[in-house]
Amino acid sequence: MGQDSKIRVLIAKPGLDGHERGAHVVAYGLRDEGFEVIYTGLRQTPEQIVSAAVQEDVDVIGLSILSGAHLSLTKKIMAGLKAKGANDILVTVGGIIPEEDKKTLEKMGVGGVFTSGAKIKDIAAFIRTKLGEGA
Amino acid sequence: MKDSKKKIKEAASKWEAEILNPRVKRFNLDKSPTNFYTPLSSDNSHFLEKVGFPGQFPFTAGNTPFEFWRAYAKEGAKIGYRSDWGGTGRSGKYGGFGTPADYRDYLLKMQSMGRIGGPNIAFDLVTQCGYDSDSHFAEGEVGRVGVAVDSLQDFAVIYEAYTGALDIDKVPSNFTINAPAAVLIAMYACLAKKRGIPLDKLTGTPQNDILKEFIARGTYIYPPKQSMRLFRDTCVFCCKQMPLLNINSIGGYHMREAGATRIQDLAFSMANGIAYIKAGLEGGLDIDEFAPAFTFNAFGGSMEIYSEIAFQRAARRVWAHILKNRFNAKDHKSMVIRQPITAHIGCSSTTLQRPLNNLARAVVGGIAAGMSGAIPGAFPPFDEPLGLGHSQEAVQLQLDASRILVFEAKVTDVCDPWAGSYFMESLTDKIEEDSLAELEKIEKMGGAVAAIENGYMQRAVAKSAYERQKQIEKQEELVVGVNCFVDAQEIDVSINRSVEATYDPELMKTAEERQKANLARLKRERNGKAVLTSLRNLKNQAEDKDKNLMPAICECVESDATIQEICDVLREVFGEAQPMKL
Repeated sequence: MGQDSKIRVLIAKPGLDGHERGAHVVAYGLRDEGFEVIYTGLRQTPEQIVSAAVQEDVDVIGLSILSGAHLSLTKKIMAGLKAKGANDILVTVGGIIPEEDKKTLEKMGVGGVFTSGAKIKDIAAFIRTKLGEGA
Repeated sequence: MKDSKKKIKEAASKWEAEILNPRVKRFNLDKSPTNFYTPLSSDNSHFLEKVGFPGQFPFTAGNTPFEFWRAYAKEGAKIGYRSDWGGTGRSGKYGGFGTPADYRDYLLKMQSMGRIGGPNIAFDLVTQCGYDSDSHFAEGEVGRVGVAVDSLQDFAVIYEAYTGALDIDKVPSNFTINAPAAVLIAMYACLAKKRGIPLDKLTGTPQNDILKEFIARGTYIYPPKQSMRLFRDTCVFCCKQMPLLNINSIGGYHMREAGATRIQDLAFSMANGIAYIKAGLEGGLDIDEFAPAFTFNAFGGSMEIYSEIAFQRAARRVWAHILKNRFNAKDHKSMVIRQPITAHIGCSSTTLQRPLNNLARAVVGGIAAGMSGAIPGAFPPFDEPLGLGHSQEAVQLQLDASRILVFEAKVTDVCDPWAGSYFMESLTDKIEEDSLAELEKIEKMGGAVAAIENGYMQRAVAKSAYERQKQIEKQEELVVGVNCFVDAQEIDVSINRSVEATYDPELMKTAEERQKANLARLKRERNGKAVLTSLRNLKNQAEDKDKNLMPAICECVESDATIQEICDVLREVFGEAQPMKL
């Protein structure tokens, strides 16, 4: 990635969960951190999220899920990305994620899980490191 | 007053020069870290106009000198009465999961343990968004955050737990439902009809507060204007057919949790309330005919105890003035904010870090509640941020904290204990003034509906949430265990959370498949022709905006049309709300 190309992030709300605070805060925060941020808005299907990520050529997808449906929704999105050959996109999950589910998500290929109390600058640093910029 | 203002002013200047300023200087500060209030901060000579007695206009001091629960609190304590379990004539604990039969069986089990309150139903997100359990939107969500209801048959299955002494003319029902509220209200009416119970015997509260769904919480279906048409229709139907049923439960809580400031919470809630009142008037009702059936579920809360007490006082005064002066209400029942709780800390005040500290936080909210006219509920249970569902241990600690505040600390022995405090009165005035200014801004845009259509309220809340986050990250706001006192020498205290899950996890796992089978059976067995006829009629009625849709929706429900089928017809006529991008 060149100096002038910004890291592109898709913040996405899969499923019917309507809690947007985390998604809003992370979207604004990463924008201020210098990322290019696209926010999907509520109620996106896994298919919509996958195709938005591919179309917008994003480097990172940040999923925000607080309804408890994080396992099934994330699984579908990971499979969808794989099917489109887009599994190089870094996927992170935020929301109410019980400790025991974090490992399951990581096994699916999720790069990082951020729950309540996570700091924007830590999320930004994590993304930069993972994408090989900040190291 | 013995001391003249002039005399106090002189004394204040002298105090600042001789006591305050030297101290500020001594510690090398720019200004004092504390404030002190005097008769100069608040003009208390308008007591009757601004505060008044509890139960009298403008209700600043409270809706009543004491609430129902307070009358028998001590007697209840002696016999160990659990108000949280409900009783006949009261609603029970908010809940719902799985299929209707799963939830019915759970309710029956609770009843066998003496928890006999009326149904207080949480619906799953599929139902809340007007989809059926077999929709592609439903995958992974069926029966998860509440019970799945696709049809009147499902609704009736839940109510198999409420017969005889607990029949629906004897216990109230609460429905946390907004966008499809008209359908659920219709189901309630149709169930009563099936049971031969007159509609005017039904009690309870549908949330029916669609506007805040656009600003926070997100379970909207139709665009705001069309949603308000449905509100109007439910408002008129409830008022005329089910006069004992509350019409709505307006909330600022969700907006605050989504990031709204205290002032936005109050202003947006009032703006939404005004929009609902206008809808009722537009439906041809007289203000005092329906406004007494408006309720509020809760405003938001925070850890700032003084401001939250002042907020409750200001909210009561603002609403009372709006009803009396703007809408010419005559009945005092139209002017009061009827809400089950007052101040509290809000779930967003709790932290995932060192979670037992949330008990201390909740107690602060309980004190604020007790000092602003409600049961001092130590809400929420400390394990709120740990995952979905509270442990029995956390609920026990929450209940005991509240009892300690009532019986040991005697927090609720005085009504509006802050009345007349120079500080509290000036803070109440300030919150009133600031929220009225924000309300005026919204009114100038054309009211709540316009301020949602143009995205103003949604963006304002999102921006406030981000501002708060920045303050925490910069340590301008300090949260213990989150951005201060986080070193290794601090101990994370934990207690056993050993009690089994509230809802059977095995049932949760299979709920989706079982509910889809229920739905498939319904679609096979029902009279398809009757369904189509009723849906076609609904469509025709929906196209004429002056028609009240409730009779047509009742007809659809009775013919076993599903929630999604009904909502799809209206989606076709009304269109769908689009998600807000930033």
